[in-house]
Amino acid sequence: MVKLKIHTKYEGAWSNADELLLCLDTGSWRAERPMVDEEKCNYCGLCILYCPTQCMTNMEHHFVPNLDFCKGCGICARECPREAISMVAEGNFRDEEEI
Amino acid sequence: MKRKYKGEVRTITGNAAAAYGAMLCRPDVVALYPITPQTEVVEQLSRFSADGLLDAEMVEVEGENTAMNIAAAATISGGRVFTASSSWGLAFMYDALLQTAGFRAPVVMVNVNREMPGILAVSTGQQDMIGTRDAGWIQIIAEDCQEILDLVIMAYRLAEDFDIQVPVMVNYDGFYLSYLSEGVNIPAREEVDVFLAPLKEQPERPKLVPGGPLGCGTHGIEKGFVELRYKHCAAMERAKKKFDEIDRLFGESFGRSYGGQIEEYRMEDAEIALVASGSAAGTVKTVIDSKRKQGLKIGLVKLRMFRPFPSERLSRVFRGKKAIGVIDRSVCFGWNCGPIYMELRALSPEIGLIPIMSFIDGLANMDISIVHIERMIDSVYAASQGKPYQRVTWVVLEE
Repeated sequence: MVKLKIHTKYEGAWSNADELLLCLDTGSWRAERPMVDEEKCNYCGLCILYCPTQCMTNMEHHFVPNLDFCKGCGICARECPREAISMVAEGNFRDEEEI
Repeated sequence: MKRKYKGEVRTITGNAAAAYGAMLCRPDVVALYPITPQTEVVEQLSRFSADGLLDAEMVEVEGENTAMNIAAAATISGGRVFTASSSWGLAFMYDALLQTAGFRAPVVMVNVNREMPGILAVSTGQQDMIGTRDAGWIQIIAEDCQEILDLVIMAYRLAEDFDIQVPVMVNYDGFYLSYLSEGVNIPAREEVDVFLAPLKEQPERPKLVPGGPLGCGTHGIEKGFVELRYKHCAAMERAKKKFDEIDRLFGESFGRSYGGQIEEYRMEDAEIALVASGSAAGTVKTVIDSKRKQGLKIGLVKLRMFRPFPSERLSRVFRGKKAIGVIDRSVCFGWNCGPIYMELRALSPEIGLIPIMSFIDGLANMDISIVHIERMIDSVYAASQGKPYQRVTWVVLEE
């Protein structure tokens, strides 16, 4: 029998921003990718508060989006007080990734 | 619980049996809206609450849709709930039924079978149950008042089982059973507590609690949805054997068991068979007994579980038989036959290519009478002898 790939932990349709329950590949919807400038980022955490998918990941001295779930809405870039995040069209990354 | 209930044998109606069954299982929340022929269930539970026998939050709702949504919400908050409806009421809670099943909220409800809207029929018929067959609920069917009470208790054990977590609908014929008074052995509450106790030893299912924010039912698209559908279908498959096991354990605890997914009546050496469900099964057994005296080798398979469909056990029991007649108290639009017949026909590769006949009878309070059943048996016997047969018979229209 074929072994199925099941990601969801529970029987019911439970969800939260925990990685165990993030089963939907929302990253595939993204048209623009947030790029974080580590030099400019002062680790204030506003992007975490505003991110609707709760996908900003704490890297101890700065934050980066989890691209499996980031939909590319751009709210983090708009809200960042130090303009450390810029939105770059996904087309620019085609060469380096298999899409 | 303010008052103890010691158990007794009483003459009660089918509706009262359902209410006693629910009361004994100690639901935390009861949300009901009255509808003929289910109203007495609401009245009985309200009386139990007033008499101090039922320590549940009684929610007065403005309609069935709210009743089911409250039931689902209370269940995903970790509570045990009970609700009941029928026909138009079931139709009015249809979206909530789907929601409850999708949440995998182990709600237990009673559906008192009644004909469905279109034609205003305040009369029995299984069309309401059939109309919700793809709602993702487990659907089980009772034959008499005792079985109603027993099935409600078994339903909690099945729905809340950690391996299942699927809502269960207990069906029984409106009018024929809802208002029929019979002697019913009502167990003591302590006995029911002991029977349901194993549920407490299982892992706890996730629930909504203050301080632990969770979403429920939001995996709207793509893979998460597919996974949840897959899990739901897998749980339905597991429910078949689980129901057989619960039936057996119920027999050990209370001295009554019914055969699980199906009851096989005089099937061992039977050459032809009828399939029936609900209150009509009792009449069929009587006719089979008299036909047996005349030397006809006939048996009955009583369908106790409609969803999931007991495909494995049905395939096994019918293998080697010569002809089968299926009595449906509802119709299958678009196939011009009975729905249970249609589903049984899907097992033809397993059963073998024998005549399977559909008998549509008992719609809208028409009796599935002894005379009707005798005629059906004669037709099935003729078909088993290789004579040409009619695939579908609308029994009362051929009188």
